[in-house]
Amino acid sequence: MARDVIIIGAGGGGPVVAKELAERGLEVLLLEAGPRHGDPEKQWTHFENDANNPLTGFFRFGPADRAKPAWLRELPQNSFLWQLSGVGGTTQHYYGNNPRAAPGAFTGYDGADKSRYDTAHLFPFTYRELIPYYEWMEHTLPVQTAAMGTKEETFFRGAAGIGLPVNTSKDISRPSFRPQENAILQPGGNAGKTTDAAKLVYPQATGCTFCGYCFQGCVQPRQAPRNLKAKRSTDNSYIPMALTAGKWKAGGKPITLVTDAFATKINTANEGGKLVAKSVTWRVGATGEKVTEEAKVIVMSAGCTEDPRLWFNSHLPNQNDWVGRGYTDHFFDWVVGLMPYSTGSAKGVGSSARADFPGYGGLENVGLPPAIQAFSLTFSDQGTQGGYTNGLGATGKWDGKAGRVNGMALRELLENLDRLLNVLVITDDDVEAQNRVTLSSVFTADEHGPVAKVIFKQRQRTARTLANREYLANRAAELARAAGATKVLRIGWPPLILHVQSTMRMGLSDTNSVLDANAESRAVKRLFVADNAALPNGIGGPNPTLTSQAVATRTAEKIFQLYFGGDPWVGREAPISSIDDVVTAAVLGQSIKPKAPAVLAVTGSERAVPVAIGAAALGSAALTAVVRRAAATPVESAPAEE
Amino acid sequence: MADSLLTRRDFLVKSGILGALVAVYGAAGPGGIPAWAQTPDDLAPVIAALRTTLQELARDTYSGLVAFVVPGPDPYSVAQGVTTPKPGGIAARNVDFMVAAIDDFVPLPDRNTNAYGFALSEGLRTAPIPIPAELAGIPLMVTEQLDEAIRAYTENDQVLPLSLVFALAMNQAAVAVNPLAVSGAFLSPFARLTYDEKLQAMAMIEGANADLVATIDGALPEPETESISGILRFVGGALYEFVAFGTFSEYGVFDPATRKLTGRPVGWAMSGYQPNGPVEGWDEFKGYFQGRKQVSG
Repeated sequence: MARDVIIIGAGGGGPVVAKELAERGLEVLLLEAGPRHGDPEKQWTHFENDANNPLTGFFRFGPADRAKPAWLRELPQNSFLWQLSGVGGTTQHYYGNNPRAAPGAFTGYDGADKSRYDTAHLFPFTYRELIPYYEWMEHTLPVQTAAMGTKEETFFRGAAGIGLPVNTSKDISRPSFRPQENAILQPGGNAGKTTDAAKLVYPQATGCTFCGYCFQGCVQPRQAPRNLKAKRSTDNSYIPMALTAGKWKAGGKPITLVTDAFATKINTANEGGKLVAKSVTWRVGATGEKVTEEAKVIVMSAGCTEDPRLWFNSHLPNQNDWVGRGYTDHFFDWVVGLMPYSTGSAKGVGSSARADFPGYGGLENVGLPPAIQAFSLTFSDQGTQGGYTNGLGATGKWDGKAGRVNGMALRELLENLDRLLNVLVITDDDVEAQNRVTLSSVFTADEHGPVAKVIFKQRQRTARTLANREYLANRAAELARAAGATKVLRIGWPPLILHVQSTMRMGLSDTNSVLDANAESRAVKRLFVADNAALPNGIGGPNPTLTSQAVATRTAEKIFQLYFGGDPWVGREAPISSIDDVVTAAVLGQSIKPKAPAVLAVTGSERAVPVAIGAAALGSAALTAVVRRAAATPVESAPAEE
Repeated sequence: MADSLLTRRDFLVKSGILGALVAVYGAAGPGGIPAWAQTPDDLAPVIAALRTTLQELARDTYSGLVAFVVPGPDPYSVAQGVTTPKPGGIAARNVDFMVAAIDDFVPLPDRNTNAYGFALSEGLRTAPIPIPAELAGIPLMVTEQLDEAIRAYTENDQVLPLSLVFALAMNQAAVAVNPLAVSGAFLSPFARLTYDEKLQAMAMIEGANADLVATIDGALPEPETESISGILRFVGGALYEFVAFGTFSEYGVFDPATRKLTGRPVGWAMSGYQPNGPVEGWDEFKGYFQGRKQVSG
């Protein structure tokens, strides 16, 4: 029996499509190459090496069996690719930051600074068109305003000190700072108020307990149902919903999730002169067995590095040579301030404060436990401070030359872990054909075929990308000094390939994009991409997850309309939150009455509005107003007939 | 032939292999031939000696690296001239961490690992170096025998430990920085360098120094040749980062069976992290910026 949809990869994007289409009653198979951590309170620890060692940790890019080596990629330059397998993908270790994109990264943007963006690689639709999908995501995850700790107070002091105003909107319109909008449940009960573990158990504590282990995976508060864990990684939010879809929503159908299943080939057929995706072949890790299943639609969500690899290994067409090209990574850098006071750097959410510089990118604070902190200080493309510069050694508002910290200097900073302010430089970087995924010709193939080679020409990036990075590094150093830093160092990172975007990009032009504006492959019909790879660019610098997931929601709707004769739902129905009581009951296996679709109450002239969703002509403000008014008064109605 | 053998001996000296063998097994033997090379027709004792020695050489090289990244009171820190009374990377068992991680979990195919190891053992083209007295007395025929043993070691189905391949590169760079490092305390030339000399050696690796690349490059099969400088740049950075990460993690006191700590990690003591052991939360909630709990679009 052919499935309706097979989705390859259960990271940040795949589970969004899976849950949305399961909610519509489609038969969905979700494949994941790595493990599912179904009982993380027992399976995970709070220890950095146990969790994050990229070769051996439970968060690595490798098979479920930790006795086996990690999976190989070739990185022919100083760089680090922080990829994860496993259900949740990199949302397992993310900080839950969910800002919206910079509007300047979209077609139709007409701000005074429009020329400051990567105008050759804009979104193929408008920012306004995406807003209802943002709102759907923000309600479902949910996204909230971050609570503060000492390190955020430190960052805000610095940001105000360099003259930035406060942004009190979800949208970015000018240089400004603010708390993160994040997918971390706000603290309730004892959370954030005690170190007594006995008092930090659900339901005495709800939401974020400020444990400081975002990067090691969120199990807080202990004993909370999986969908009520503080951090809204997809394994805590969309996966629990997708697995129980029929229980919380009338007409829904639970997905089938198969882990330890590494997709090795997408099979196609020629139908009516068009190449059409027909089936997926995957390898079962435990047995080595190959399995093939057919589906009406196939969705690639294996990430920016593995999507192109799978494409190449499937020998799919690459007519304009853009498959795998245009890799953006926000060309991060790292500025560290040593403060004369405690910042609580290793406590609380990894990052809860940010500053946006439209057209340049942004900054955010980052608090880290010691091992990753030490990694962050030694990860450099600019040599070792006090020794050599590796041909760079940039100077600016920081002390001395940029470069890694080593030896006694490294010890000194780590001995002051609690007095550090880390500032991550997030560059609005250009889509460039030279930064790409291809197949390694050096390393032999592994059990899944030829391995990916990820090429970043960091020293030959565009003038705008390099200038944006320098600008932001200087602002970061000024911010740290304004917060009181007695020493400010710039590390000069090589590519830390962690905010990954645009290797299978959507685009306006078929000369430099792989996907059309619906995120469907131009070359292979019924084949979609729904993860960060589908993004047309680096979205102007904000953290990409929310935008990627909003686009994935839109893609799910397009799939439903194009191939299953369905109607769109975003803007027509009220979304059900992943922390809704009905979802909690479903996750706990309690007998409950599923919710019927809550159709938005629209009257009179407003009734026409949802029909117009997707039309670029529609003003977002009007639509937003309708959704907001309507969402306040959901009306129960019978589920639509299939 | 003699020229070639002299070049081979140069490599064996520069990489630290010959010196390490002599240090571990002794040079003295009947006719000035070491005990492990007494039977010219039988490579087995040479290979056995080689296997043990290469492991020790690799560990010694990483000891020099670990002390360089996070110094402590250990002999390797003392030797580099940068030391502190407080425990550092060596005390955090970081050498075990590095060797285990690189050998057991870096998924480099054996074919590639051996290609790089073989290239390092094959490709020396740079100027000769002074041969220390205790090594100069070893007959060239021993060099030849050792050379054959290395070939046998890398070409038969033996997998060369990747940690050794990186260690050989560090030692070659070390001798390029200071030729006198071919002999002295320890087994590894890299471990014999001062802190500043180690910086220079790491700069060569990380900067994909042209001589070093040429050393390795010439002996590599296509298509490896075009990638070697990129791989050196990657490895040069990764060596620092892995030492730093491992030293400040729980690795040294983590019991894999119980997944609990058996003591306080050195890196936690250094950084003051989790002073009372792991917690489930902190009393760190400072409210909402300007009292704002939510914003809209």
